[in-house]
Amino acid sequence: MKQKTPTWPWTLLLGLILLTVAGGIWWATKRVDYTWRWNRVPQYFVYRAELVEHAPADGRVVEVRTDGDDAVVVFESDTGERTEIRVDVGTVQVSEGEDLFEGDPVGARFRWRVGPLTKGLWTTLWISFFSGVLGLVLGLVAGLARVSKNPTLRGLAILYVELIRGTPLLVQIFIFYFFIGTVLNLDRIVAGILALAIFAGAYTAEIVRAGIQSIPRGQMEAARSLGMTLPQAMRYIILPQAFKRILPPLAGQFISLIKDSSLVSVIAITDLTKSGREVITSTFATFEIWFTVAALYLLITSLLSQVILWMERRLAVSD
Amino acid sequence: MIEVRDLVKIFHARGHVVRAVDGVSTHVARGEVVVVIGPSGSGKSTFLRCLNGLETFDEGHVVIDGMDLADKKTDINLVRREVGMVFQQFNLFPHKTVLDNICLAQEVVRKRSRQEAEAKARQLLAKVGIAEKESEYPSRLSGGQQQRVAIARALAMDPKVMLFDEPTSALDPEMVGEVLDVMKQLAREGMTMVVVTHEMGFAREVADRVLFMDEGKIVEEGPPDKLFSAPEHDRTKLFLSQVL
Ligand SMILES: Nc1ncnc2c1ncn2[C@@H]1O[C@H](COP(=O)(O)OP(=O)(O)O)[C@@H](O)[C@H]1O
Ligand SMILES: [Mg+2]
Repeated sequence: MKQKTPTWPWTLLLGLILLTVAGGIWWATKRVDYTWRWNRVPQYFVYRAELVEHAPADGRVVEVRTDGDDAVVVFESDTGERTEIRVDVGTVQVSEGEDLFEGDPVGARFRWRVGPLTKGLWTTLWISFFSGVLGLVLGLVAGLARVSKNPTLRGLAILYVELIRGTPLLVQIFIFYFFIGTVLNLDRIVAGILALAIFAGAYTAEIVRAGIQSIPRGQMEAARSLGMTLPQAMRYIILPQAFKRILPPLAGQFISLIKDSSLVSVIAITDLTKSGREVITSTFATFEIWFTVAALYLLITSLLSQVILWMERRLAVSD
Repeated sequence: MIEVRDLVKIFHARGHVVRAVDGVSTHVARGEVVVVIGPSGSGKSTFLRCLNGLETFDEGHVVIDGMDLADKKTDINLVRREVGMVFQQFNLFPHKTVLDNICLAQEVVRKRSRQEAEAKARQLLAKVGIAEKESEYPSRLSGGQQQRVAIARALAMDPKVMLFDEPTSALDPEMVGEVLDVMKQLAREGMTMVVVTHEMGFAREVADRVLFMDEGKIVEEGPPDKLFSAPEHDRTKLFLSQVL
């Protein structure tokens, strides 16, 4: 059968639908009389902070000279101590010979500083990273326990998985923070990371179990028939093969974890979501900030998807 | 070399009780080649798998080179490194190259150095006639080549006994010969072998003794000439009339 339907009408339709959606959003904001102020957003990523330099004591300006982009103000206090104060050229507020009191402004330096959104993004990244790694370890252990012949281990693993998967993450975070966190005197960050790790671990355990069970029985039998112990067979034969198969679901789980990590903002951890909320209270750019926050999450998750795709291709050489 | 006494293996499958191996006793001497034949489901694989502990058994004794598998104190991993096994489905490790397939257990189990293991692997690959494939992954090999790698992998452990469970049944007909040739050579070199197979020609040529199994029992045994030309039992006659 030979059939060739042109794809351009469908591409056109897709474009039309997207345009309609965009138009709808524009019209909706028009109706609520919202003024977009996108220009306010970048300063919450990075901004130039002004650091004012003050006179360290009562005294006198001896000399003002320029040194490249800096201006150097030589200051002598009443007790005779000399200090050099470097500020940006053009911000100098004193002239040679001028008497100053302690605390008088001399000039200022401008420095780039990261804003709350960048800090929040960074917090989200490392919280996700640590809880992801911890969750992977937990999931591996629980997944192995789940397929073990020992009924105690298996029972514990089932209980863990069912308990975590049967309750909402938000509730688990509260329990961790207010109950376990109080009992063990945990920092809120630690409580948040642990709650996320334990949550991710339960799902990872199921992924690991499914991955191990998807490897044909003959592989274990071949390994054991060569005299390998069960741990050796797991380590050299079963897990490497299982890992290749569980990489896609594992990556999906990690991407979910990044998104789920936004829930730790309820225990006052300043992640990306919480930063967004804080920024909104000081500006009124509500829509812009939420769209920006969403775009940032999307950026991380899609970058991660690309990395995983690349890893999958690398691992596919033996198939 | 192998001593089997009153071996019983029972499976409980969906309420059914299957006596897969039902009171088997036999002895395999050093250097002997024993071929096991019998209809499908007669317990040949299960019997073979009991010999290296891949299947636990319910009653009886299996003694390999003086080590009794029924004894709880026997380290099964020590037994298994002396007993090589070749499977119907090859069961090569798909994530490892041919060379690594053969080296892995040598290094991990026999604690050989990488050089030692590689030297051994290359020597065995040459022996089974696929020296040029050492850096391929198993999925790139034909069935016959895969099975020869599997034989080399088992031999690399310097086993005292080799077990074969229908090693040619999953192969295309034109590849059966190359695998049987390797097995014949092994037999000539004096390897102790227990072979489950439907290749009656192979049995005739190299077997010292043929066991005919049905419903978990050894119905009849004897040298191939006698068993094939003058079987005593009706069931043996019926089976042979179907396969020969
Ligand atoms: N893991 C198992 N669970 C339940 N029954 C089994 C299992 N393995 C084999 N059997 C049964 O044991 C009997 C013997 O099987 P098998 O040893 O594979 O026979 P053969 O290799 O001669 O074809 C068959 O009835 C089979 O259904
Ligand atoms: Mg069988």
